[in-house]
Amino acid sequence: MTAAQVLAIVQQACATVLEIDPQTVTLQTRFVEDLRADSLALVEIVEIVEEALAPLAPAGFHIDDEDLDGLTTVGEAVDLAVAQL
Amino acid sequence: MPGVRAVRQAHRHRRLTLSDAGTTPPGPPGAVVRVAVDLLGGDRAPESVVDGALLAVGEQPGTRVILVGPVEVAQRLLAARGATGRLEVVAATQVVGMDEEPARAVRTKRDATVRVAARLVRDGAADALVSVGSTGAALAAALFTLGRLRGAGRPALAVVIQAKAGPLVFLDAGASVDATPDLLAQYALAGVALAQVRLGIVRPRVGLLTIGEESGKGDLLRRQAAVLLAALPVDFVGSVEGRDVPHGGVADVVVTDGFTGNVLAKGLEGAVSMVTEALLAAFDATPARRAAALVLQPAVAEVTGHLSPDAFGGGFLLGVRGVCVVGHGDASPRAVASCIGVAAEAVRDALVPRIGEALAQLLDERATVAP
Repeated sequence: MTAAQVLAIVQQACATVLEIDPQTVTLQTRFVEDLRADSLALVEIVEIVEEALAPLAPAGFHIDDEDLDGLTTVGEAVDLAVAQL
Repeated sequence: MPGVRAVRQAHRHRRLTLSDAGTTPPGPPGAVVRVAVDLLGGDRAPESVVDGALLAVGEQPGTRVILVGPVEVAQRLLAARGATGRLEVVAATQVVGMDEEPARAVRTKRDATVRVAARLVRDGAADALVSVGSTGAALAAALFTLGRLRGAGRPALAVVIQAKAGPLVFLDAGASVDATPDLLAQYALAGVALAQVRLGIVRPRVGLLTIGEESGKGDLLRRQAAVLLAALPVDFVGSVEGRDVPHGGVADVVVTDGFTGNVLAKGLEGAVSMVTEALLAAFDATPARRAAALVLQPAVAEVTGHLSPDAFGGGFLLGVRGVCVVGHGDASPRAVASCIGVAAEAVRDALVPRIGEALAQLLDERATVAP
């Protein structure tokens, strides 16, 4: 799975949780400052992304909570997911 | 909301019919409602939960309870009550503690009772979720598993308060401590739908909780929310004060943020408890009063029973894609049974589709006036 495909999943997750146009979400978009996602929304987004990627990922695929703490941009989230696929 | 506008002049207090709301009808009449109950949630769990579940199925024909928790614990408690086989049990091994950060705990514990219960609702194996455990955990489990309704930015905990002038819907009682004017507008719409369904009020009056009756009172959130609420097609009556909530009569739906709402709800609960205890102590002070108390006891029991959370069940998590009822952590078996009862009624009344329709219909309009 390519980074572009993961980005599409993240865009859709952001759109679902935050009710925004997915096309406004880019690799540079910041979750808190640009999307106004609070911690609960961020976890919701990650849950959706995990669920979407699970069938394509190795068994036990999971984004660690520790990694979430340092997550600022969509690009970082995409890199994090791609690294585990 | 044309269906409601058309009946604007109608008598305010009459039972709403499905044709009034024009929404998705509930399941077939007489259909069994399956309620998934979090076995390990609450201070008195699991005993109180099992007793409440047995009360519910004994008193509520057409309601089936699914206990979600450790199978051996459920079976042992059922056997001890001579109720082996009366309730279905679905296995879940983890529990979210009251002291844990709810979102992270629910995320980490995939096999937590509240999360498995939410999964049953999502997968169609249950129609509603009841938990008397951590409200935050129930909120997180519902959000992560069921998702939110379109137009619902953040769910609210809505409780029906038995005010002196009649019941009213109060939200948010503590689901989301940080609110925006837009969120308060969503709460108003969801609260109106709940008041229509649960209280049978055709056009509920919406009040905004603040610190004075005059418009413009309150902090920035309240002032901005008042402008937004006035622009919505709801019967917004303006500001209400804290004292208006227990007295009632001013509004049928009282909206506030989860922080203030929780403070007021807990304050009311404490005040009712304090007055009840003080009354009982005063009655018990002298032989003459004890004799008088025998005469007054039915009246006192009527009032205190009316105000007891045991009687009216828990709060609804409004804004998620499923019926989720959250009870008090100290819920008695009677309170657990009440939670199960209101959850089953909400399924039969098609509460979630009604709220979904209200939010969806007004989404565009709300977006144009939201800051």
